[in-house]
Amino acid sequence: MAINVEKIAGILQNFVNSASDVQGAALVTPDGLPLASTLPSAMDEERVSAMSAAMLSLGERIGSELARGTIERLFVEGQQGYGVLTSCGEDAVFLVLASQRAKQGVLMLEIKRAISELKLALG
Amino acid sequence: MALDPHEFMSLMSRRIGFTEHNKSVLQSSEKWGLEIAPDMATVFYDFLGRDEEMNAILNESDGRIHRLRETFVEWFHEMFTGMDNWGNDYADRRWRIGLIHVRVGIGPQHVVPAMAIVNQEASRRLRDAGQPDDLKEALERICMIDLAFIEQAYVEVAAEAVLKETGWSAGLFRRLITSGAAAM
Repeated sequence: MAINVEKIAGILQNFVNSASDVQGAALVTPDGLPLASTLPSAMDEERVSAMSAAMLSLGERIGSELARGTIERLFVEGQQGYGVLTSCGEDAVFLVLASQRAKQGVLMLEIKRAISELKLALG
Repeated sequence: MALDPHEFMSLMSRRIGFTEHNKSVLQSSEKWGLEIAPDMATVFYDFLGRDEEMNAILNESDGRIHRLRETFVEWFHEMFTGMDNWGNDYADRRWRIGLIHVRVGIGPQHVVPAMAIVNQEASRRLRDAGQPDDLKEALERICMIDLAFIEQAYVEVAAEAVLKETGWSAGLFRRLITSGAAAM
């Protein structure tokens, strides 16, 4: 089944517009290729995609090495906000950028909902 | 990302322009190649021994330098015989030589000057012996193919190690190198 890129882009756009304190989002392949993204203009989509896939894969390896079980998400916390990487099935990695004002519980729930939608769109 | 030595041999032969004529010229001078190989080994290891770092690697264990000299003579002679006419056996052996260089820590910064000495010394001996230019050209080309194997072994081993440790795909790794290089 063909992947509906427009639908995926729409889900991302809607997610970024409606979720509280979310600044950007991207869906990328495990090879680091962008599928769709809504990122701040200063960010390089290609670079962010490659880094996201690399980080999630490395995180999963670290999780395995440290016997942490299946990795749910990678969470990067900086002074300017958060970066959350979540696996979206076997074929994609979901990156979300949020400001430091974001409430983590709400953010995780919104990410979970978005992933359900994205998985359906990925087929 | 694992390299297929047989395909790599074909690719390098094509890119470097290693022809059937080059092969026949080398094979016809095979005895001369074997004759000068021990002296070539002496010049080669004298040169390498002048580098502090290389000297430490060459003399790391008892008898290593002696074994390396023997290996050099075989290696040099094989460039003239081509083993199986520069086929799969030749490619496999060159790949193993490349891997051994990686294992003992002889990097590209050492291998390139070392191969330059082989070329330089061989050229001098070819000239002194009144050997034809054809042989010089053929030897230079096969030297470059052998050098490519050793260089590529470094890249392959380093990449394999990263992929193994990180779980990254070869495509992702290449993408990171490209985007990283662009940002330098």
